[in-house]
Amino acid sequence: MSHGGEEGKDEEGEEENRAAWLVGVKTLRIQPYNLPPLGPHDVKVRMKAVGICGSDVHHFKHMRCANFIVKKPMVIGHECAGIVEEIGSEVKSLQIGDRVALEPGISCKQCQLCKDGRYNLCRQMKFFGSPPTNGALANLVVHPENLCFKLPDNVSLEEGAMCEPLSVGVHACRRAKVSPQTRVLIIGAGPIGLVTMLTARAFGAPKVVIVDIDDRRLSFAKALGADETIQVSTDIQDVGEEVVKIQNAMDSSVDLSFDCVGFSKSMSVALNATRAGGKVCLVGLGQSEMTLPLTPAAARELDIIGIFRYRNTWPLCIEFLRSGKIDVKPLITHRFEFTQDQVEEAFETSARGGNAIKVMFNL
Amino acid sequence: MGKGGIAQENQGEENMAAWLLGVNNLKIQPFKLPSLGAHDVRVRIKAVGICGSDVHYYKHMSCGDYHVKEPMVIGHECAGIIEEVGSEVKSLLPGDRVALEPGIGCWHCNPCKEGRYNLCHDMKFFATPPIHGSLADQIVHPASLCFKLPDNLTLEEGAMCEPLSVGVYACRRANVSPETTVLILGAGPIGLVTMLAARAFGAPKVVVVDVDDHRLSVAKELGAAEVVKVSSDTQAVDKEVEEIKKAMGGPVDVTVDCCGMSKTVSTALAATVSGGKVCVVGMAHCQMTVPLTPAAAREVDLVGVFRYRNTWPLCIEFLSSGKIDVKPLITHRFGFTQKEVEEAFETSARGSNAIKVMFNL
Repeated sequence: MSHGGEEGKDEEGEEENRAAWLVGVKTLRIQPYNLPPLGPHDVKVRMKAVGICGSDVHHFKHMRCANFIVKKPMVIGHECAGIVEEIGSEVKSLQIGDRVALEPGISCKQCQLCKDGRYNLCRQMKFFGSPPTNGALANLVVHPENLCFKLPDNVSLEEGAMCEPLSVGVHACRRAKVSPQTRVLIIGAGPIGLVTMLTARAFGAPKVVIVDIDDRRLSFAKALGADETIQVSTDIQDVGEEVVKIQNAMDSSVDLSFDCVGFSKSMSVALNATRAGGKVCLVGLGQSEMTLPLTPAAARELDIIGIFRYRNTWPLCIEFLRSGKIDVKPLITHRFEFTQDQVEEAFETSARGGNAIKVMFNL
Repeated sequence: MGKGGIAQENQGEENMAAWLLGVNNLKIQPFKLPSLGAHDVRVRIKAVGICGSDVHYYKHMSCGDYHVKEPMVIGHECAGIIEEVGSEVKSLLPGDRVALEPGIGCWHCNPCKEGRYNLCHDMKFFATPPIHGSLADQIVHPASLCFKLPDNLTLEEGAMCEPLSVGVYACRRANVSPETTVLILGAGPIGLVTMLAARAFGAPKVVVVDVDDHRLSVAKELGAAEVVKVSSDTQAVDKEVEEIKKAMGGPVDVTVDCCGMSKTVSTALAATVSGGKVCVVGMAHCQMTVPLTPAAAREVDLVGVFRYRNTWPLCIEFLSSGKIDVKPLITHRFGFTQKEVEEAFETSARGSNAIKVMFNL
């Protein structure tokens, strides 16, 4: 039930499955991808939409991302949706032809964390595109039935692929307990800051202030519904001044801050801007070691809440998209096809940032 | 309803208090009490403990963001006997033995209204400048912040409710329960009361670490399952985390940092299980360099704590039932004289085998 093998041969009478393999720094090659046999609870899915994530770009550029190191060629990609092509013998909830969004991570289901329902923290997690588990930028993948979620007719396959980044926002808003009473600050207007903003609104947040260093991303955030936007710098000396601007923009206290960047400076802003008794949610995984005014924050009973990926978020994401409470379509700014040239161009585009928010493959 | 001022005769006896006049400069001088409000009581103070923050004010005339700008009566961990009650006081009578909760919230601001009165914007707290403390013959205090002591508790135990409240509140905020193992960094008075509280909340196993052997042996005697000696060397974090995990023999669900510096917070973040909590109680350093992201990416939450709220009834219950015994923490006792006040503060400042220094008035 793993995620495929190395360069394989043609399966007799069937199309050769191909995938985008990360074979070295900044080196992606579309090559054959041998699928594992279909287990009784698995489905085979023809991929139709795959988004590129900052972590995919990081693997592309560095052959690693935090503690995940790419030691052998690996298929890239994990934000995906497609059409069910074949179902295992025990599969009951899905049929051939069903349009599904895929949750990337297969947990062990046996450890204490899994049994407590916190499967996102499973230490044996097999996650698309996190080495050594092959990803989903391929013609076909095999995946467990219970991690494939049927899309309603009015939700496109691209929106299905967007459920993955949107899930990060949903999990963060849940852990931080966003409600109609929480006034929210979001640091960082990249894809994650933006999905967090959209989700915070969907959870009822009455006011959202978003900050970034890039004014194009800020105007984009404004168009998507931010109440106020503020341009900030990367200079730690500016923290005091920026906190004042943020508090003025919020016009009342900041109840909750999401740091979707994850550096000493952004966390310092969050800790200083948030009211006593509030929460700071660290979503962005920018810098490992940070220098922070922790004691003053602790003495104001600020809680710092960590986020790792998500758990049990697909049904809610799909519902938000179906009902129109959240519209992720504007976030898809660039589209590419599944060819060697376009795969390379897509990754370079995503790495550029700026006006490239979500880069999407259509297969 | 302030907390007193300059000298005045009061029923034939002059009320005296220990005033902080400057660095290392405490003088017993007259302390004029305010008039008794309708909801106040006048208490003859019998037991007062010295806190690390009192020592800090004594040595630096400041503590964190608070600065002593004019003479201030010191002390806030106290208990005594009611001498007089205000006209509207129904729950207390003269002669009642009470433990005092130091801080008067405003009851108007949002934190107060939400029940988080410890975060009150306008908190008036004994011996946090400019509010006078309680190392005095008598003080005036709201009746609602005076808690009657059962017969089987001493006034010293009543005074110990204050530091014990810090431990109790930390355990509440960190959700300590019969299902959570607990690691405590620091075996000073706060680490020790936190350990006692953790056991009272049912924690199945508590490991305590410190740099000082004597304090570790006290922790072991008082109920730590294991103790680990650590250093102040930031390079030693990884090694110490290994030793801690071995001592716990399983995951560390909750860590309470009763020191509060980069090294201890870093240790706490690394040692705590994924999905666990780190409660920062100690406030040694302001700015810290810590590996926050790897911990956040394991959903280890950092929970802040400031003083306590609504803890006296539970502290009294724990003490009265015997679930917690704080008496061993009182290592040194002094009387209320000029010389002894000075000696008491020097003793407390020394640390090590001086855990809780108590005045008997």
